[in-house]
Amino acid sequence: MNTFERLQDAIAQTLEVPPASVGPDTKATDIAAWDSLGHVNLMMSLEQTFDVQLDVEDFPTLTSVPAILAFLKARGIA
Amino acid sequence: MKLTPQTLESLLAIPSRSGLARAIQEKELDIPLPQVRRLRARLDELAAPAHPLRLGIVHTYTTDLLDPWIAFEASLQDLAVDVYHAPYGMVLQEARPDSGLVRHRPDVTVLMLQREDLHPDLAQPLGAFPSSKQEEMRGAALAHLRSIVGQFRAHVDGLLLLTLLPAPAGPGLGLYDAQSERSEAAWWATLKASIAQFLRDEVRASMLLDLDEPVALIGRSVFFDLRFWYSSRFPFSAAGAREVARRLAAVGAVVKHPKAKVIVVDADNTLWGGIIGEDGMHGIALGPDYPGNAFVAFQRRLLDLQQRGFVLAMCSKNNPADVDEVLRNHSHQLLKDHHFVARRVNWEPKPNNLRSLAEELNLGLDSFIFIDDSEHECAAVRYELPQVEVVQAPKNPIDLASCLDRVARLEVLALTAEDQAKTAMYVMERRRRELEQDITQRGGNIDEYLRSLGMKMQIFIDDAAQVARLAQLTQKTNQFNLTTRRYTEQQVQDFIDSPDWTVAHFSLADTFGNSGVVGLAMFRRTAPHAAMLDTFLMSCRVIGRHAESAFLESLLALLAKQGITQVDAQFLPTRKNVLAKDFLPLHGFTAGVENSHRRNLAAMAPRSAAEFPIEVSVFGTDKSAAATTAGAA
Repeated sequence: MNTFERLQDAIAQTLEVPPASVGPDTKATDIAAWDSLGHVNLMMSLEQTFDVQLDVEDFPTLTSVPAILAFLKARGIA
Repeated sequence: MKLTPQTLESLLAIPSRSGLARAIQEKELDIPLPQVRRLRARLDELAAPAHPLRLGIVHTYTTDLLDPWIAFEASLQDLAVDVYHAPYGMVLQEARPDSGLVRHRPDVTVLMLQREDLHPDLAQPLGAFPSSKQEEMRGAALAHLRSIVGQFRAHVDGLLLLTLLPAPAGPGLGLYDAQSERSEAAWWATLKASIAQFLRDEVRASMLLDLDEPVALIGRSVFFDLRFWYSSRFPFSAAGAREVARRLAAVGAVVKHPKAKVIVVDADNTLWGGIIGEDGMHGIALGPDYPGNAFVAFQRRLLDLQQRGFVLAMCSKNNPADVDEVLRNHSHQLLKDHHFVARRVNWEPKPNNLRSLAEELNLGLDSFIFIDDSEHECAAVRYELPQVEVVQAPKNPIDLASCLDRVARLEVLALTAEDQAKTAMYVMERRRRELEQDITQRGGNIDEYLRSLGMKMQIFIDDAAQVARLAQLTQKTNQFNLTTRRYTEQQVQDFIDSPDWTVAHFSLADTFGNSGVVGLAMFRRTAPHAAMLDTFLMSCRVIGRHAESAFLESLLALLAKQGITQVDAQFLPTRKNVLAKDFLPLHGFTAGVENSHRRNLAAMAPRSAAEFPIEVSVFGTDKSAAATTAGAA
């Protein structure tokens, strides 16, 4: 699985939505379950899935698939 | 251990729910949240959980984020959980009779409170207050908690769990805290003990779920995640959340699953290392050095479980004399003959031995937990007796002592005096059987045996002191039980308080000892001259001694004195209560339609207690007698 697919899987499983509903341009506002609580769960999932450490300051910036992919890329996960 | 993609794949390939649940639990894996969701979905796809569990959570910090872990841990315990989270912070509103919580009808309600909720001054360092003020604060905190818990208990049925979120930081006075007279740690420890006493003594069906324990288990720095705490008021890390969820699911399992009662242990490579028949007394591993000390620790853990009210039995493929020798003469063997209520040491297949143990102890196989190191024996029991919970003893002796800590059904939510004396009861019973054999071998008959016991029955009417035990009897008694109606402590208390109900229990003493409270009957007055026998049950511990007859006839005599002439009763058949099938017909009840039976006390008067080999005394005031007298006057 490439990084997008891993992210797609993590988002789909965490928010309990079909993987097809998570595309390369998906934003939090596109998915009802990606609300503020869903977002906290997702932050936890990202850390565990990609073995990265997030700061509280990162949470509000990671609200779309492109933003998360860019963040992961900056941490050397491409 | 981290969950690798390979492990995940092998888990997802397991074809049965029970197999997958077991594999997940045995591996003690660190599972990321997406995989928690995935594995839970897989478990539920293989088979829907056997029991529903309604959980209500009242909280003063964010708890919704616990849901994926609660659903996962519940599913591992074969529970389909339906969680209601009260609106954030609306604590007391939820105790109202029309609240969302009350409408959710939870089996278990959890109050998840923060320490600071208990007293406004807790926002400041405790060390700032002199001990007199600290004392006063503790009293006020307890009073506040009493009021909260009291309001919930008044309107919410089911089990009430109280949790206090531990402090995310160490004690205020640091290294010196433990020694200081203003110690924060000591203040909380004292408060915790007072809360526990309050719940134990005053609040039925309640429990303090101590979150200090998971903190001790995984460590404060692992349990909390301060980023989520400060940003979202969610205190737990993934590992912390899972530990909390695991405890909630364990409580759910105890509430919803058949009660476990018996722990059956294998001997070789389970109670000691090696094989006694081959290695001999000096060759087996059991003693102060590794690996013998790990087996000693395991035996010690089994003794702890005995204190929780479980009884121990042994099932081992061995020559009986070899095992006897260890129990009697090995200086490091902790478990002796009197710790086992029964033993099967022979070469029979273990499923047969378990069946015969169940018969001897008069207990259902679904109350058995079987521990054996052999994969083959475990598989044989799982296959032939799926109702027995099987725990395979870990190969590594280091893991042995803790292998039972994660078996949810070995948790208890309350302890009565009977629970702690249970092993002694069963051992008394074993001695009675030996006496009976003795007498019959000398040509005596069963009546002679029963008279030789010198039985004395004490019947108590409407005795509120035994509410916990009486509710427990309705929950646990399956075999000699006419109606198998399960009641909570609150319901039993309500019956005791009601003028229409008579709640009677008995205990039975003989030359070997006292049985404790072993029988319960509850009558409801349906008309001035008629009563309905709602519940009649007796522990199998005292079966075969005419106690059930003496109890019933004594109670009927009491009812007759109050002017009751007609008693209705039911026998509601279940898979387990065939033992009680003929009880009503044998006692003068005529069968009617739909399981109903009736006895006319005018036509067939209650038999005198003198007809039984038991001396009966009745204690306690009787509300309905008082009511009748008042009515007559």
